[in-house]
Amino acid sequence: MTQLRCENITVSFGGVVACNNISLEVPTGKIVGLIGPNGAGKTTLFNVLSRFQDHDSGHIYYRDQDIDRKKPHQMVELGMARTFQNINLFGEQSTLDNILIGAHHLIGNPFADMFSLPAARRTERSLVQRANEIAEMLHMQDELDTLVKNLPYGYRKRVELARALASQPELILLDEPVAGCNDEETDELRGIVQRLNRELGITIFLVEHDMSMVMNVCDYIYVINFGSNLADGTPAEVQANADVISAYLGEEHDDAA
Amino acid sequence: MVAAARTSAPIANRQAVAALKARFAQQNWIFAGVLFALLALVPLLPVVEGWMATQAALVIIYILAAQGVSVLTGHTGLVTVGHGGFLAIGAYTSALMSHYLGADLLSGMICGGLMAALIGCLLGLIFLRLAGAFMAIGTLGFAFFIGTIVNNVPIFNGRTGFSLPPNNLFGVIDIGDFGFYYVCLVTLALMTLFMYSLVRSGVGRAFKALRDAEKAAQSSGVNRLFYRTLAFTISAFITGVAGALNGHIVSFVSAEVYADIWYSVDILVAAIVGGSAMLFGPFIGGVFIVMVPFFFEELADFSFILKGIVLIGVLMLAPAGVADVAARPFRAMRQRALAQAGGATAREHGRTGGSPGGAE
Ligand SMILES: Nc1ncnc2c1ncn2[C@@H]1O[C@H](COP(=O)(O)OP(=O)(O)OP(=O)(O)O)[C@@H](O)[C@H]1O
Ligand SMILES: [Mg+2]
Repeated sequence: MTQLRCENITVSFGGVVACNNISLEVPTGKIVGLIGPNGAGKTTLFNVLSRFQDHDSGHIYYRDQDIDRKKPHQMVELGMARTFQNINLFGEQSTLDNILIGAHHLIGNPFADMFSLPAARRTERSLVQRANEIAEMLHMQDELDTLVKNLPYGYRKRVELARALASQPELILLDEPVAGCNDEETDELRGIVQRLNRELGITIFLVEHDMSMVMNVCDYIYVINFGSNLADGTPAEVQANADVISAYLGEEHDDAA
Repeated sequence: MVAAARTSAPIANRQAVAALKARFAQQNWIFAGVLFALLALVPLLPVVEGWMATQAALVIIYILAAQGVSVLTGHTGLVTVGHGGFLAIGAYTSALMSHYLGADLLSGMICGGLMAALIGCLLGLIFLRLAGAFMAIGTLGFAFFIGTIVNNVPIFNGRTGFSLPPNNLFGVIDIGDFGFYYVCLVTLALMTLFMYSLVRSGVGRAFKALRDAEKAAQSSGVNRLFYRTLAFTISAFITGVAGALNGHIVSFVSAEVYADIWYSVDILVAAIVGGSAMLFGPFIGGVFIVMVPFFFEELADFSFILKGIVLIGVLMLAPAGVADVAARPFRAMRQRALAQAGGATAREHGRTGGSPGGAE
């Protein structure tokens, strides 16, 4: 079964065509990677898939259901969670509070909740309990009560992941989860992503520039360049693809120039 | 970091944290309990006269009105410059009921609050797409709109206004200055209890999430339309109740005062000077806004200037308000204790880089 599929997605910002006829699919239970040079349109496509960005044409299907008109806040009910490339956290709140917001759709009746009725208090306790478990799984149980603004950058990326997990998702979209992490943190996060996939059966769709991460964890990889599909295949196939090599070499040439 | 090095510690840590949190909550309750006990007992002293009780009731009305603002501006991040509009709606609803139907204080307060909540709900829907300065301008326009209506629509009697019968409650024909004070005090206690519950609930978390990390909130299932409208509704209800009391405190309601923008300004200044994102902020703000003109009675113009100076000073030196400054050492102490009890290590790893979460 496919967890998530998009067909011929096109998005343009004024004159800039950020996504040009992109099609891809994420099979249930797999780890799929999305790579491409800077500005290729990866984040824009993620925004389309999570409904933060409207697409000019094309279709998105979640478990074969058309979700072209869903609102961003409805995605989590379907089972899709995401993290943001530019971390989106409450700096003044603790790690725990940041994780708890991820469980928002599980709070039940908001009117019972805001009056702290007994049922709402029970729900809250169980959500806190689950937030603790998630923190433990991500090796950050020690930092639950630390304010996020006091955490190192690599940790904040992990808080984002924890928040996404708190919604009990079937699918998580990760936008550059190890950007800004050192080697040790990257290794740790790679292990975590694999565990989420193998032990909890969560489907993962991942944008990442760190090739060691992408090539090691992904079952399948899509490459996009200038907003268009460039190639796709297993990590080995993609690494051997001449177009992909030249796209990345071209980028390096640009960087050097 | 070595994962194996911390295996059994977390459970003990979590228990220590839970115990600490329980203790902090207990301290909060004791503090609030002592405060309200004092507020309830002091008027029983023989030196306290009726006009003093009325002055204290006025402070409470401003605290309530500022609590309404704090829901919207402090917790949800939507700046409102027009809450005088909700104050007027509460005041006129209750006044009309009292004047024409002889309704008592309690039903006036409830209906005043509900009417304001209804209008607040509509306003939340209309202002869905407004943010920042545009929200401020929109709410200001709303206050002018309400002002124009009470000034021109005949049933509101324009600047002539109408006077209200003595405040009656539960069959008591005139509850007097002290009775009125206690009605205000009980209302304040209930509202404060509700605010305490709200800001700690999942709903309060959603409000704050919309304020600080809107995308994260939405991707977590927070329906922006619903929660913004809810914040508007709750905020309007609280200020509407304050408005009902505000009409009854002088037993007179007219467009002379309610068509003016000064109530909106005073309520906002009270909320901001006190600290609109803190439970205790409106208390400080309410005292400030009532006491300044009280002490500068002969120098009315000077009291306006003083309010302005204090507002600017607070915005420059302590944008989160006086309560935030006062609470800072306590909060830092608690935060440190919690982080330590939880076993915080991240800061020892160094590399505290980048800016805290915020805009994408
Ligand atoms: N809101 C926007 N308005 C205008 N242009 C935009 C907007 N968002 C993205 N773009 C443009 O669309 C293109 C694709 O951007 P996008 O952020 O999707 O790239 P990316 O593949 O995620 O890059 P990176 O690897 O640097 O994160 C870029 O040229 C970018 O400047
Ligand atoms: Mg990107």
